[in-house]
Amino acid sequence: MLARNEIIFKWTLYAAATALCFLLQSFVLQRVTIWGVIPFIYPVIVAVLATLEGPFSGTVFAIAVGVVCDVLLPGVFPCLYTLIFPLAGLCAALISQSWLPAGYLCSLATSAIAFLMTGIAQCLLLMIREKAAWATGISVCLRELAVSAVLIVPVTILFRWVFRRTHLDD
Amino acid sequence: MKKFLREHGIWVLFAAAVIAVALAAMSFFSNTSSPLANVAGIISSPFRNAYTSVATWFNDKQAYYTDIHALEEENAALRRRNAELEAAARQAEKDSEENKRLRELLNLREQRRDLSDFEAAFVTEHTVTNWTSSLTLNKGTAHGVEVNDSVIDETGALVGVVSEVGYNWCSVLTIVDTDTSLGAQVFRTKDLGLATGDFSLMGENRLRLDYLPAGCQLIGGDLVVTSGLGGYFPEELVIGSVEEVKRDDTGSESYAVVVPAVDFNALTEVFIIKSFDIVT
Repeated sequence: MLARNEIIFKWTLYAAATALCFLLQSFVLQRVTIWGVIPFIYPVIVAVLATLEGPFSGTVFAIAVGVVCDVLLPGVFPCLYTLIFPLAGLCAALISQSWLPAGYLCSLATSAIAFLMTGIAQCLLLMIREKAAWATGISVCLRELAVSAVLIVPVTILFRWVFRRTHLDD
Repeated sequence: MKKFLREHGIWVLFAAAVIAVALAAMSFFSNTSSPLANVAGIISSPFRNAYTSVATWFNDKQAYYTDIHALEEENAALRRRNAELEAAARQAEKDSEENKRLRELLNLREQRRDLSDFEAAFVTEHTVTNWTSSLTLNKGTAHGVEVNDSVIDETGALVGVVSEVGYNWCSVLTIVDTDTSLGAQVFRTKDLGLATGDFSLMGENRLRLDYLPAGCQLIGGDLVVTSGLGGYFPEELVIGSVEEVKRDDTGSESYAVVVPAVDFNALTEVFIIKSFDIVT
């Protein structure tokens, strides 16, 4: 059990790591297009942290990231990420607790699920607006996952470092 | 020595006088230098050459160092001048591009008197997600920009529509975004339709022209412009040109794939139409 100041310290470090990832997305990844898509780091952050911190903390963190994404990114549905990221975070946490222990493989699997959930949500939104494009949507989603997969390793290293730094007694 | 001079001095003087007279006579009667002077010249010539060579070498070195110093200074000055000229050339190129844009805009203003109020804006960010096609501009409510304002480039081609506005920024959904829908008209045939973004075409920077009347005869390259119907957008802003005509999945209706006139990736400066006169 962490003391209050240790919890504050831990989440400050997580916030700093997340801010670093946001800067990476805005300044670097935004300008890179591979296979017609831009790498997208946010689902990876949500999935990786949830595998490390468990369902409750992972979900709360995912809500925060979702809100920031909805504020920063343009979109038709104003709270898409706020709704999808907590679900993705929860799934990631449950998978890491039940099937795959937190690690690179778990990060890859949970990130893939997070991307898939986001893609399906986007396709559903298109369908609701009578502009269904499932094949293109899934193609974009898979390409997005493929080009973002390389980010899973550095993000996992970064967040695991914070986790280990703040869970010395575990 | 004293003894020698006392005994033979007169003879020495005599011999010297004879030699002097002989030399004088030889130099008077000869066209070349005297043999003695010649011999002396021959002997001293290599030394003189060596001395001259050394002196010339020193002079050259001195001149070289003097010159190189001057050249260095001149080179530095030329570099500075070159940098200034390059900067001036860059500025001139920039000014020329701006001038061209402004001329086109002026021309557009003269052609389109219904577009009364423009706001020039720079594109600060291009598309930020894989699910939308958007631009962020550096003008917002502080400059009178409002949601649903049309955005055009300097040639009058439609870029998109303002979807969100902040104090000093705004987001523009481009005409290929899935959330964009515009009343459109084929310029040649005057057929009306609805230009909408389609996710399947968005990746290729294309949009579709739907609800075309039955039997409309579109050909590749037909210009598509805004219809202006409903008063949401100014009329006759260029959307793009018809690339091909296709049938939808049901096969009952046809639609046209339209190539936008604007290259969204190359956009740096755009113009927001803040108000326009509705032409009836």
